[in-house]
Amino acid sequence: MLFLVALVLWPFAHLVAAAAKGGGGAWRTVLAAGRYRNALVNSLVLSAAAASAAVLLSLVPAWVLARERFPGRRLLRAVMALPLSFSGVLVGFLMVVMLGRIGAVTELLRWLTGRALLSGAAYTATGLFAAYLYFEVPRAVLTLEAAFRRFPPELDAAARTLGAGTRDRLLRVRLPLLAPALRSSLALTFSASMGSFGVALILARRFTVAPVEIYTELTGFLNDAVAGALCLLLALATLAVDRLLAADGRGRGGVADASARARTPHGRRAPGRGAAR
Amino acid sequence: MSLAAGSPRLGRRLAIAWTALVAAMLAAPIAVTVGGAFLRFDWYGQRSEGAPVQGVAAPFAYVLELWRHNLLRSLEIVAVVVPLALLLGAPAAYAFRRRPFPGSRWVEAAAVAPLAIPGIALAVALIEVAGGAPRFALLAAGHLVYTVPLVVKTVGNALAGHDPLLEAAARTLGAGRLAIVRRLVLPLLAPSLVLSALLVFAVSWGEFNVSFLLATPRVQTFPAALYLTYTTNSFPVAAAATVVFLLPVVPAVAAIQALGGEQLERGPQP
Repeated sequence: MLFLVALVLWPFAHLVAAAAKGGGGAWRTVLAAGRYRNALVNSLVLSAAAASAAVLLSLVPAWVLARERFPGRRLLRAVMALPLSFSGVLVGFLMVVMLGRIGAVTELLRWLTGRALLSGAAYTATGLFAAYLYFEVPRAVLTLEAAFRRFPPELDAAARTLGAGTRDRLLRVRLPLLAPALRSSLALTFSASMGSFGVALILARRFTVAPVEIYTELTGFLNDAVAGALCLLLALATLAVDRLLAADGRGRGGVADASARARTPHGRRAPGRGAAR
Repeated sequence: MSLAAGSPRLGRRLAIAWTALVAAMLAAPIAVTVGGAFLRFDWYGQRSEGAPVQGVAAPFAYVLELWRHNLLRSLEIVAVVVPLALLLGAPAAYAFRRRPFPGSRWVEAAAVAPLAIPGIALAVALIEVAGGAPRFALLAAGHLVYTVPLVVKTVGNALAGHDPLLEAAARTLGAGRLAIVRRLVLPLLAPSLVLSALLVFAVSWGEFNVSFLLATPRVQTFPAALYLTYTTNSFPVAAAATVVFLLPVVPAVAAIQALGGEQLERGPQP
Protein backbone atom coordinates (compact mmCIF):
# COMPACT_ATOMS: atom_id res chain seq x y z
CA MET A 1 0.00 0.00 0.00
CA LEU A 2 2.86 2.31 0.85
CA PHE A 3 4.13 1.49 -2.60
CA LEU A 4 0.94 2.85 -4.09
CA VAL A 5 1.11 6.02 -2.01
CA ALA A 6 4.68 6.48 -3.19
CA LEU A 7 3.51 5.93 -6.76
CA VAL A 8 1.48 9.13 -6.40
CA LEU A 9 3.51 11.24 -3.97
CA TRP A 10 6.88 10.82 -5.62
CA PRO A 11 5.74 11.91 -9.11
CA PHE A 12 3.89 14.85 -7.62
CA ALA A 13 7.01 15.96 -5.76
CA HIS A 14 8.73 16.07 -9.15
CA LEU A 15 5.81 18.04 -10.49
CA VAL A 16 6.37 20.67 -7.80
CA ALA A 17 10.03 20.81 -8.81
CA ALA A 18 9.12 21.13 -12.50
CA ALA A 19 6.66 23.93 -11.79
CA ALA A 20 9.26 25.80 -9.74
CA LYS A 21 11.77 25.83 -12.60
CA GLY A 22 12.90 29.33 -13.57
CA GLY A 23 12.21 30.90 -10.18
CA GLY A 24 8.46 30.38 -10.08
CA GLY A 25 7.75 32.25 -13.30
CA ALA A 26 5.34 29.49 -14.31
CA TRP A 27 3.15 30.19 -11.29
CA ARG A 28 2.95 33.89 -12.18
CA THR A 29 2.06 33.02 -15.78
CA VAL A 30 -0.69 30.63 -14.73
CA LEU A 31 -2.22 32.83 -12.06
CA ALA A 32 -2.10 36.07 -14.09
CA ALA A 33 -5.24 36.97 -16.00
CA GLY A 34 -5.32 35.13 -19.30
CA ARG A 35 -5.81 31.77 -20.95
CA TYR A 36 -4.62 29.57 -18.10
CA ARG A 37 -6.58 31.26 -15.36
CA ASN A 38 -9.65 31.29 -17.61
CA ALA A 39 -9.32 27.56 -18.21
CA LEU A 40 -9.07 26.88 -14.49
CA VAL A 41 -12.06 29.10 -13.71
CA ASN A 42 -14.01 27.46 -16.55
CA SER A 43 -13.25 24.03 -15.12
CA LEU A 44 -14.31 25.05 -11.62
CA VAL A 45 -17.54 26.80 -12.65
CA LEU A 46 -18.63 24.19 -15.17
CA SER A 47 -17.87 21.30 -12.83
CA ALA A 48 -19.70 22.92 -9.92
CA ALA A 49 -22.74 23.77 -12.06
CA ALA A 50 -22.90 20.34 -13.69
CA ALA A 51 -22.41 18.51 -10.39
CA SER A 52 -25.23 20.43 -8.70
CA ALA A 53 -27.55 19.95 -11.68
CA ALA A 54 -26.74 16.25 -11.88
CA VAL A 55 -27.45 15.66 -8.19
CA LEU A 56 -30.76 17.54 -8.46
CA LEU A 57 -31.78 15.56 -11.56
CA SER A 58 -30.82 12.29 -9.86
CA LEU A 59 -32.77 12.68 -6.61
CA VAL A 60 -36.07 11.32 -7.93
CA PRO A 61 -34.62 8.47 -10.06
CA ALA A 62 -32.43 7.36 -7.15
CA TRP A 63 -35.43 7.33 -4.82
CA VAL A 64 -37.54 5.43 -7.34
CA LEU A 65 -34.85 2.79 -7.95
CA ALA A 66 -34.24 2.37 -4.23
CA ARG A 67 -37.82 2.34 -2.94
CA GLU A 68 -40.33 1.49 -5.66
CA ARG A 69 -41.04 -1.91 -7.16
CA PHE A 70 -42.44 -1.90 -10.69
CA PRO A 71 -41.98 -3.86 -13.92
CA GLY A 72 -38.90 -2.74 -15.81
CA ARG A 73 -37.04 -1.49 -12.74
CA ARG A 74 -34.02 -3.71 -13.35
CA LEU A 75 -33.82 -2.58 -16.97
CA LEU A 76 -33.93 1.10 -15.95
CA ARG A 77 -31.20 0.46 -13.39
CA ALA A 78 -29.01 -1.31 -15.96
CA VAL A 79 -29.47 1.55 -18.43
CA MET A 80 -28.52 4.03 -15.72
CA ALA A 81 -25.39 2.06 -14.84
CA LEU A 82 -24.08 1.39 -18.34
CA PRO A 83 -22.60 4.88 -19.03
CA LEU A 84 -20.41 4.48 -15.94
CA SER A 85 -18.12 2.22 -17.92
CA PHE A 86 -17.72 4.67 -20.79
CA SER A 87 -14.41 6.23 -21.62
CA GLY A 88 -14.45 10.04 -21.71
CA VAL A 89 -13.81 10.17 -25.46
CA LEU A 90 -16.83 7.95 -25.98
CA VAL A 91 -19.06 10.36 -24.04
CA GLY A 92 -17.67 13.22 -26.12
CA PHE A 93 -18.42 11.33 -29.31
CA LEU A 94 -21.99 10.60 -28.17
CA MET A 95 -22.49 14.34 -27.70
CA VAL A 96 -21.22 14.98 -31.23
CA VAL A 97 -23.61 12.30 -32.50
CA MET A 98 -26.53 14.03 -30.78
CA LEU A 99 -25.62 17.73 -30.87
CA GLY A 100 -22.94 18.01 -33.53
CA ARG A 101 -23.26 20.02 -36.71
CA ILE A 102 -25.31 17.14 -38.18
CA GLY A 103 -26.36 15.54 -34.92
CA ALA A 104 -29.45 13.41 -34.33
CA VAL A 105 -31.11 16.03 -32.11
CA THR A 106 -30.02 18.82 -34.43
CA GLU A 107 -31.51 17.08 -37.47
CA LEU A 108 -34.71 16.29 -35.58
CA LEU A 109 -35.09 19.95 -34.63
CA ARG A 110 -34.38 21.01 -38.21
CA TRP A 111 -37.09 18.63 -39.41
CA LEU A 112 -39.56 19.83 -36.77
CA THR A 113 -38.94 23.57 -36.95
CA GLY A 114 -37.21 24.05 -40.28
CA ARG A 115 -34.40 25.96 -38.62
CA ALA A 116 -30.87 24.97 -37.63
CA LEU A 117 -31.31 24.96 -33.86
CA LEU A 118 -28.48 23.76 -31.61
CA SER A 119 -26.35 22.96 -34.64
CA GLY A 120 -22.81 22.42 -33.44
CA ALA A 121 -23.86 22.96 -29.83
CA ALA A 122 -21.68 19.98 -28.89
CA TYR A 123 -18.58 22.13 -29.31
CA THR A 124 -19.73 24.93 -27.02
CA ALA A 125 -20.07 25.22 -23.26
CA THR A 126 -23.61 23.84 -23.67
CA GLY A 127 -22.30 20.63 -25.21
CA LEU A 128 -19.67 20.25 -22.53
CA PHE A 129 -22.32 20.80 -19.85
CA ALA A 130 -24.57 18.17 -21.45
CA ALA A 131 -21.65 15.74 -21.65
CA TYR A 132 -20.77 16.33 -17.99
CA LEU A 133 -24.39 15.67 -17.06
CA TYR A 134 -24.28 12.49 -19.13
CA PHE A 135 -21.49 10.94 -17.10
CA GLU A 136 -22.46 12.53 -13.78
CA VAL A 137 -26.13 11.53 -13.57
CA PRO A 138 -25.37 7.78 -13.43
CA ARG A 139 -22.74 8.38 -10.77
CA ALA A 140 -25.12 10.49 -8.68
CA VAL A 141 -28.01 8.06 -9.13
CA LEU A 142 -25.97 5.07 -7.96
CA THR A 143 -24.51 6.88 -4.92
CA LEU A 144 -27.85 8.31 -3.83
CA GLU A 145 -29.72 5.07 -4.50
CA ALA A 146 -27.43 3.20 -2.11
CA ALA A 147 -28.08 5.85 0.56
CA PHE A 148 -31.85 5.89 0.00
CA ARG A 149 -32.04 2.12 0.23
CA ARG A 150 -30.57 2.29 3.73
CA PHE A 151 -32.68 5.26 4.78
CA PRO A 152 -34.46 4.24 7.98
CA PRO A 153 -38.20 4.85 7.39
CA GLU A 154 -38.90 4.20 11.11
CA LEU A 155 -37.35 7.55 11.99
CA ASP A 156 -39.59 9.36 9.53
CA ALA A 157 -42.62 7.50 10.88
CA ALA A 158 -41.58 8.29 14.45
CA ALA A 159 -41.34 11.99 13.61
CA ARG A 160 -44.81 11.83 12.10
CA THR A 161 -46.16 10.14 15.23
CA LEU A 162 -44.63 12.94 17.27
CA GLY A 163 -46.60 15.44 15.20
CA ALA A 164 -43.99 16.72 12.75
CA GLY A 165 -45.46 18.10 9.53
CA THR A 166 -44.17 17.42 6.01
CA ARG A 167 -41.89 20.45 6.07
CA ASP A 168 -40.53 19.74 9.51
CA ARG A 169 -39.81 16.12 8.61
CA LEU A 170 -38.03 17.18 5.42
CA LEU A 171 -35.88 19.79 7.13
CA ARG A 172 -35.18 18.07 10.44
CA VAL A 173 -35.27 14.35 9.67
CA ARG A 174 -34.75 13.59 6.02
CA LEU A 175 -32.21 16.27 5.06
CA PRO A 176 -29.91 15.73 8.06
CA LEU A 177 -30.02 11.97 7.45
CA LEU A 178 -29.33 12.28 3.74
CA ALA A 179 -26.94 15.23 3.86
CA PRO A 180 -23.80 13.05 3.98
CA ALA A 181 -24.93 11.11 0.90
CA LEU A 182 -25.78 14.35 -0.92
CA ARG A 183 -22.38 15.77 -0.08
CA SER A 184 -20.49 12.67 -1.14
CA SER A 185 -22.39 12.41 -4.41
CA LEU A 186 -21.56 16.08 -5.07
CA ALA A 187 -17.91 15.39 -4.29
CA LEU A 188 -17.90 12.37 -6.61
CA THR A 189 -19.51 14.13 -9.56
CA PHE A 190 -17.43 17.28 -9.06
CA SER A 191 -14.12 15.46 -9.02
CA ALA A 192 -15.14 13.37 -12.04
CA SER A 193 -15.82 16.60 -13.98
CA MET A 194 -12.64 18.35 -12.85
CA GLY A 195 -10.57 15.41 -14.05
CA SER A 196 -12.54 14.94 -17.24
CA PHE A 197 -10.04 15.08 -20.08
CA GLY A 198 -11.34 12.71 -22.75
CA VAL A 199 -14.71 14.45 -23.06
CA ALA A 200 -13.14 17.90 -23.34
CA LEU A 201 -10.50 16.72 -25.79
CA ILE A 202 -13.29 15.85 -28.24
CA LEU A 203 -15.60 18.78 -27.47
CA ALA A 204 -13.48 21.76 -26.39
CA ARG A 205 -13.32 23.92 -29.51
CA ARG A 206 -14.78 27.28 -28.50
CA PHE A 207 -14.64 26.66 -24.79
CA THR A 208 -11.57 25.40 -23.00
CA VAL A 209 -11.05 23.65 -19.66
CA ALA A 210 -7.92 23.05 -17.61
CA PRO A 211 -7.15 19.41 -18.59
CA VAL A 212 -7.10 20.36 -22.29
CA GLU A 213 -4.82 23.35 -21.59
CA ILE A 214 -2.42 21.05 -19.72
CA TYR A 215 -2.36 18.71 -22.69
CA THR A 216 -1.71 21.41 -25.30
CA GLU A 217 0.89 23.06 -23.07
CA LEU A 218 2.84 19.84 -22.74
CA THR A 219 2.49 18.39 -26.24
CA GLY A 220 2.25 21.62 -28.23
CA PHE A 221 4.67 23.92 -26.47
CA LEU A 222 6.78 21.43 -24.43
CA ASN A 223 6.32 23.84 -21.52
CA ASP A 224 6.41 21.44 -18.60
CA ALA A 225 6.79 24.20 -16.00
CA VAL A 226 3.43 25.78 -16.89
CA ALA A 227 1.83 22.35 -17.41
CA GLY A 228 3.13 21.27 -14.01
CA ALA A 229 1.78 24.37 -12.29
CA LEU A 230 -1.62 23.86 -13.96
CA CYS A 231 -1.64 20.18 -12.96
CA LEU A 232 -0.91 21.03 -9.34
CA LEU A 233 -3.58 23.72 -9.19
CA LEU A 234 -6.16 21.43 -10.79
CA ALA A 235 -5.33 18.56 -8.43
CA LEU A 236 -5.26 20.84 -5.39
CA ALA A 237 -8.59 22.48 -6.27
CA THR A 238 -10.21 19.08 -6.79
CA LEU A 239 -8.86 17.63 -3.55
CA ALA A 240 -9.74 20.81 -1.62
CA VAL A 241 -13.38 20.77 -2.74
CA ASP A 242 -13.53 17.05 -2.07
CA ARG A 243 -12.25 17.51 1.49
CA LEU A 244 -14.50 20.55 2.03
CA LEU A 245 -17.58 18.52 1.12
CA ALA A 246 -16.28 15.74 3.31
CA ALA A 247 -15.78 18.01 6.31
CA ASP A 248 -18.50 16.88 8.70
CA GLY A 249 -16.52 17.12 11.91
CA ARG A 250 -15.28 13.55 11.71
CA GLY A 251 -12.87 13.95 8.85
CA ARG A 252 -14.60 11.27 6.83
CA GLY A 253 -16.53 11.35 3.59
CA GLY A 254 -15.81 12.83 0.20
CA VAL A 255 -14.91 10.79 -2.83
CA ALA A 256 -12.82 8.40 -0.83
CA ASP A 257 -15.76 7.53 1.35
CA ALA A 258 -18.72 7.84 -1.00
CA SER A 259 -19.63 4.19 -0.92
CA ALA A 260 -18.51 3.41 2.61
CA ARG A 261 -20.86 6.13 3.76
CA ALA A 262 -23.65 4.92 1.56
CA ARG A 263 -23.29 1.51 3.15
CA THR A 264 -23.54 2.72 6.71
CA PRO A 265 -25.81 5.68 7.26
CA HIS A 266 -26.29 7.19 10.69
CA GLY A 267 -27.17 4.87 13.46
CA ARG A 268 -26.50 1.69 11.50
CA ARG A 269 -23.11 0.14 11.40
CA ALA A 270 -22.29 -2.86 9.31
CA PRO A 271 -21.64 -5.82 11.58
CA GLY A 272 -18.08 -6.07 12.80
CA ARG A 273 -17.34 -2.40 12.34
CA GLY A 274 -18.53 -0.97 15.61
CA ALA A 275 -15.53 -2.17 17.56
CA ALA A 276 -13.06 -0.68 15.09
CA ARG A 277 -14.34 2.81 15.70
CA MET B 1 -59.81 12.80 0.93
CA SER B 2 -59.58 11.58 -2.63
CA LEU B 3 -56.69 13.96 -3.18
CA ALA B 4 -54.89 12.62 -0.12
CA ALA B 5 -55.34 9.07 -1.36
CA GLY B 6 -54.77 9.84 -5.01
CA SER B 7 -51.80 12.18 -4.98
CA PRO B 8 -49.19 9.71 -3.70
CA ARG B 9 -50.11 7.34 -6.51
CA LEU B 10 -49.97 10.12 -9.07
CA GLY B 11 -46.69 11.24 -7.55
CA ARG B 12 -45.37 7.70 -7.78
CA ARG B 13 -46.33 7.47 -11.45
CA LEU B 14 -44.74 10.83 -12.19
CA ALA B 15 -41.58 9.79 -10.37
CA ILE B 16 -41.33 6.56 -12.34
CA ALA B 17 -42.00 8.45 -15.58
CA TRP B 18 -39.22 10.91 -14.72
CA THR B 19 -36.86 8.02 -14.02
CA ALA B 20 -37.74 6.42 -17.35
CA LEU B 21 -37.19 9.75 -19.10
CA VAL B 22 -33.73 10.17 -17.58
CA ALA B 23 -32.85 6.60 -18.56
CA ALA B 24 -34.12 7.23 -22.09
CA MET B 25 -31.96 10.34 -22.38
CA LEU B 26 -28.95 8.26 -21.34
CA ALA B 27 -29.80 5.45 -23.73
CA ALA B 28 -30.68 7.53 -26.80
CA PRO B 29 -27.13 8.43 -27.89
CA ILE B 30 -26.01 4.81 -27.50
CA ALA B 31 -28.97 3.61 -29.55
CA VAL B 32 -28.23 6.10 -32.35
CA THR B 33 -24.53 5.19 -32.39
CA VAL B 34 -24.97 1.40 -32.27
CA GLY B 35 -27.73 1.66 -34.86
CA GLY B 36 -25.41 3.72 -37.02
CA ALA B 37 -22.79 1.00 -36.94
CA PHE B 38 -25.19 -1.36 -38.69
CA LEU B 39 -26.55 1.05 -41.29
CA ARG B 40 -24.91 0.49 -44.60
CA PHE B 41 -25.69 3.77 -46.26
CA ASP B 42 -23.58 6.82 -45.66
CA TRP B 43 -25.76 9.25 -43.76
CA TYR B 44 -23.13 11.13 -41.88
CA GLY B 45 -21.22 13.37 -44.27
CA GLN B 46 -18.20 12.66 -46.39
CA ARG B 47 -16.49 9.33 -46.02
CA SER B 48 -12.75 9.61 -45.66
CA GLU B 49 -12.01 5.98 -46.43
CA GLY B 50 -12.65 6.11 -50.19
CA ALA B 51 -14.58 3.05 -51.31
CA PRO B 52 -18.22 2.81 -50.23
CA VAL B 53 -18.87 0.52 -47.30
CA GLN B 54 -19.86 -2.97 -48.47
CA GLY B 55 -22.05 -5.03 -46.17
CA VAL B 56 -22.84 -4.85 -42.50
CA ALA B 57 -19.54 -6.37 -41.39
CA ALA B 58 -17.33 -4.04 -43.45
CA PRO B 59 -16.89 -1.25 -40.86
CA PHE B 60 -16.08 -3.84 -38.21
CA ALA B 61 -13.51 -5.57 -40.38
CA TYR B 62 -11.97 -2.17 -41.12
CA VAL B 63 -11.83 -1.24 -37.42
CA LEU B 64 -10.29 -4.56 -36.42
CA GLU B 65 -7.66 -4.26 -39.13
CA LEU B 66 -6.89 -0.61 -38.39
CA TRP B 67 -6.72 -0.84 -34.58
CA ARG B 68 -5.58 -4.42 -34.05
CA HIS B 69 -2.45 -3.32 -32.20
CA ASN B 70 -4.38 -1.02 -29.88
CA LEU B 71 -6.83 -3.81 -29.07
CA LEU B 72 -4.00 -6.21 -28.29
CA ARG B 73 -2.27 -3.57 -26.15
CA SER B 74 -5.45 -2.95 -24.18
CA LEU B 75 -5.91 -6.69 -23.63
CA GLU B 76 -2.30 -6.96 -22.41
CA ILE B 77 -2.78 -4.03 -20.03
CA VAL B 78 -5.95 -5.56 -18.62
CA ALA B 79 -4.24 -8.94 -18.26
CA VAL B 80 -1.46 -7.32 -16.23
CA VAL B 81 -3.49 -4.79 -14.23
CA VAL B 82 -6.35 -7.03 -13.04
CA PRO B 83 -4.20 -9.60 -11.20
CA LEU B 84 -1.73 -6.98 -9.94
CA ALA B 85 -4.50 -4.78 -8.55
CA LEU B 86 -6.00 -7.78 -6.72
CA LEU B 87 -2.60 -8.84 -5.38
CA LEU B 88 -1.85 -5.33 -4.09
CA GLY B 89 -5.33 -4.37 -2.94
CA ALA B 90 -6.79 -7.47 -1.26
CA PRO B 91 -3.98 -8.03 1.30
CA ALA B 92 -3.97 -4.30 2.05
CA ALA B 93 -7.72 -4.35 2.70
CA TYR B 94 -7.22 -7.35 4.98
CA ALA B 95 -4.50 -5.53 6.90
CA PHE B 96 -6.64 -2.40 7.30
CA ARG B 97 -9.66 -4.36 8.59
CA ARG B 98 -8.11 -7.18 10.59
CA ARG B 99 -4.62 -6.03 11.60
CA PRO B 100 -4.90 -2.25 12.02
CA PHE B 101 -1.59 -0.67 12.93
CA PRO B 102 -0.91 2.84 14.27
CA GLY B 103 -1.67 5.23 11.45
CA SER B 104 -3.32 2.60 9.24
CA ARG B 105 -6.40 4.81 8.87
CA TRP B 106 -4.15 7.49 7.43
CA VAL B 107 -2.51 5.08 5.02
CA GLU B 108 -5.97 3.84 3.97
CA ALA B 109 -7.20 7.40 3.36
CA ALA B 110 -4.02 8.24 1.44
CA ALA B 111 -4.37 5.12 -0.70
CA VAL B 112 -7.92 6.06 -1.73
CA ALA B 113 -7.28 9.81 -2.20
CA PRO B 114 -5.69 9.45 -5.69
CA LEU B 115 -9.17 8.64 -7.01
CA ALA B 116 -9.91 12.38 -6.80
CA ILE B 117 -6.76 13.40 -8.70
CA PRO B 118 -7.27 14.29 -12.37
CA GLY B 119 -5.75 11.57 -14.54
CA ILE B 120 -4.00 14.06 -16.79
CA ALA B 121 -2.16 15.51 -13.77
CA LEU B 122 -1.01 12.06 -12.75
CA ALA B 123 0.11 11.33 -16.32
CA VAL B 124 2.19 14.52 -16.46
CA ALA B 125 3.70 13.70 -13.05
CA LEU B 126 4.58 10.18 -14.16
CA ILE B 127 6.29 11.53 -17.28
CA GLU B 128 8.24 14.04 -15.19
CA VAL B 129 9.52 11.41 -12.81
CA ALA B 130 10.07 8.43 -15.11
CA GLY B 131 9.70 9.53 -18.71
CA GLY B 132 12.48 7.13 -19.71
CA ALA B 133 10.90 4.03 -18.17
CA PRO B 134 9.24 1.47 -20.45
CA ARG B 135 5.90 2.94 -21.43
CA PHE B 136 4.01 -0.25 -20.84
CA ALA B 137 5.16 -0.22 -17.20
CA LEU B 138 4.20 3.44 -16.82
CA LEU B 139 0.76 2.74 -18.27
CA ALA B 140 0.24 -0.18 -15.92
CA ALA B 141 1.35 1.99 -12.97
CA GLY B 142 -1.13 4.69 -13.93
CA HIS B 143 -3.93 2.15 -14.19
CA LEU B 144 -3.01 0.66 -10.80
CA VAL B 145 -3.33 4.06 -9.09
CA TYR B 146 -6.99 4.20 -10.15
CA THR B 147 -7.87 0.54 -9.68
CA VAL B 148 -6.18 -0.63 -6.45
CA PRO B 149 -8.34 1.72 -4.30
CA LEU B 150 -11.45 0.07 -5.76
CA VAL B 151 -10.17 -3.35 -4.68
CA VAL B 152 -9.29 -2.01 -1.22
CA LYS B 153 -12.80 -0.62 -0.79
CA THR B 154 -14.69 -3.60 -2.23
CA VAL B 155 -12.74 -6.23 -0.28
CA GLY B 156 -12.73 -4.00 2.81
CA ASN B 157 -16.53 -3.72 2.70
CA ALA B 158 -16.83 -7.51 2.35
CA LEU B 159 -14.48 -8.06 5.30
CA ALA B 160 -16.48 -5.62 7.41
CA GLY B 161 -19.52 -7.83 6.81
CA HIS B 162 -17.85 -11.00 8.14
CA ASP B 163 -17.31 -11.77 11.79
CA PRO B 164 -13.59 -11.63 12.68
CA LEU B 165 -14.28 -14.19 15.40
CA LEU B 166 -14.56 -16.86 12.68
CA GLU B 167 -10.83 -16.59 12.13
CA ALA B 168 -10.17 -16.67 15.86
CA ALA B 169 -12.32 -19.81 16.11
CA ALA B 170 -10.38 -21.46 13.29
CA ARG B 171 -7.15 -20.58 15.05
CA THR B 172 -8.39 -22.07 18.31
CA LEU B 173 -9.30 -25.23 16.44
CA GLY B 174 -5.70 -25.52 15.36
CA ALA B 175 -5.74 -24.15 11.83
CA GLY B 176 -2.46 -22.66 10.68
CA ARG B 177 -2.18 -19.25 9.09
CA LEU B 178 -2.08 -20.69 5.57
CA ALA B 179 -5.06 -22.94 6.21
CA ILE B 180 -7.09 -20.00 7.55
CA VAL B 181 -6.37 -17.95 4.46
CA ARG B 182 -6.98 -20.80 2.05
CA ARG B 183 -10.00 -22.48 3.61
CA LEU B 184 -11.74 -19.59 5.39
CA VAL B 185 -10.77 -16.09 4.21
CA LEU B 186 -10.48 -16.75 0.48
CA PRO B 187 -13.82 -18.63 0.15
CA LEU B 188 -15.58 -15.91 2.18
CA LEU B 189 -14.06 -13.18 0.05
CA ALA B 190 -14.51 -14.95 -3.30
CA PRO B 191 -17.58 -12.92 -4.39
CA SER B 192 -15.89 -9.62 -3.53
CA LEU B 193 -12.73 -10.70 -5.34
CA VAL B 194 -14.73 -11.51 -8.47
CA LEU B 195 -16.51 -8.16 -8.16
CA SER B 196 -13.15 -6.39 -7.72
CA ALA B 197 -11.74 -8.08 -10.81
CA LEU B 198 -14.76 -6.98 -12.86
CA LEU B 199 -14.49 -3.40 -11.57
CA VAL B 200 -10.77 -3.24 -12.29
CA PHE B 201 -11.43 -4.60 -15.76
CA ALA B 202 -14.15 -2.03 -16.48
CA VAL B 203 -11.99 0.87 -15.30
CA SER B 204 -8.81 -0.31 -16.98
CA TRP B 205 -10.55 -1.08 -20.29
CA GLY B 206 -12.01 2.42 -20.51
CA GLU B 207 -9.07 4.38 -19.07
CA PHE B 208 -8.10 7.23 -21.39
CA ASN B 209 -6.91 10.23 -19.37
CA VAL B 210 -3.67 8.68 -18.13
CA SER B 211 -3.09 6.39 -21.09
CA PHE B 212 -3.42 8.94 -23.87
CA LEU B 213 -0.63 11.24 -22.70
CA LEU B 214 1.62 8.28 -21.90
CA ALA B 215 0.93 6.59 -25.22
CA THR B 216 3.63 6.13 -27.82
CA PRO B 217 2.97 5.03 -31.40
CA ARG B 218 3.80 1.47 -30.36
CA VAL B 219 2.08 1.41 -26.97
CA GLN B 220 -1.45 2.73 -27.41
CA THR B 221 -4.60 1.47 -25.75
CA PHE B 222 -7.93 0.99 -27.48
CA PRO B 223 -9.53 4.16 -26.05
CA ALA B 224 -6.65 6.09 -27.66
CA ALA B 225 -7.68 4.44 -30.92
CA LEU B 226 -11.24 5.59 -30.22
CA TYR B 227 -10.00 9.16 -29.99
CA LEU B 228 -8.16 8.86 -33.30
CA THR B 229 -11.07 7.23 -35.04
CA TYR B 230 -13.55 9.80 -33.69
CA THR B 231 -11.43 12.65 -34.99
CA THR B 232 -10.44 11.18 -38.37
CA ASN B 233 -12.82 8.44 -39.54
CA SER B 234 -16.38 8.58 -40.84
CA PHE B 235 -19.43 7.88 -38.72
CA PRO B 236 -20.00 4.19 -39.61
CA VAL B 237 -16.37 3.38 -38.78
CA ALA B 238 -16.45 5.41 -35.53
CA ALA B 239 -19.72 3.75 -34.57
CA ALA B 240 -18.29 0.30 -35.30
CA ALA B 241 -15.24 1.08 -33.13
CA THR B 242 -17.63 2.13 -30.35
CA VAL B 243 -19.44 -1.20 -30.60
CA VAL B 244 -16.10 -3.03 -30.39
CA PHE B 245 -15.29 -1.02 -27.24
CA LEU B 246 -18.69 -1.79 -25.68
CA LEU B 247 -18.70 -5.54 -26.43
CA PRO B 248 -16.69 -6.70 -23.38
CA VAL B 249 -17.90 -3.89 -21.12
CA VAL B 250 -21.66 -4.49 -21.33
CA PRO B 251 -21.49 -8.04 -19.89
CA ALA B 252 -19.03 -6.81 -17.26
CA VAL B 253 -21.43 -4.06 -16.16
CA ALA B 254 -24.32 -6.55 -16.11
CA ALA B 255 -22.29 -8.91 -13.92
CA ILE B 256 -21.25 -6.06 -11.60
CA GLN B 257 -24.91 -5.08 -11.24
CA ALA B 258 -25.87 -8.69 -10.51
CA LEU B 259 -23.25 -8.80 -7.75
CA GLY B 260 -24.67 -5.56 -6.32
CA GLY B 261 -21.56 -3.54 -7.07
CA GLU B 262 -22.11 -0.04 -5.77
CA GLN B 263 -18.44 0.69 -6.41
CA LEU B 264 -19.23 1.05 -10.11
CA GLU B 265 -20.25 4.61 -9.24
CA ARG B 266 -16.65 5.34 -10.14
CA GLY B 267 -16.04 4.09 -13.64
CA PRO B 268 -13.02 5.15 -15.66
CA GLN B 269 -12.39 8.88 -15.19
CA PRO B 270 -14.32 10.50 -18.05
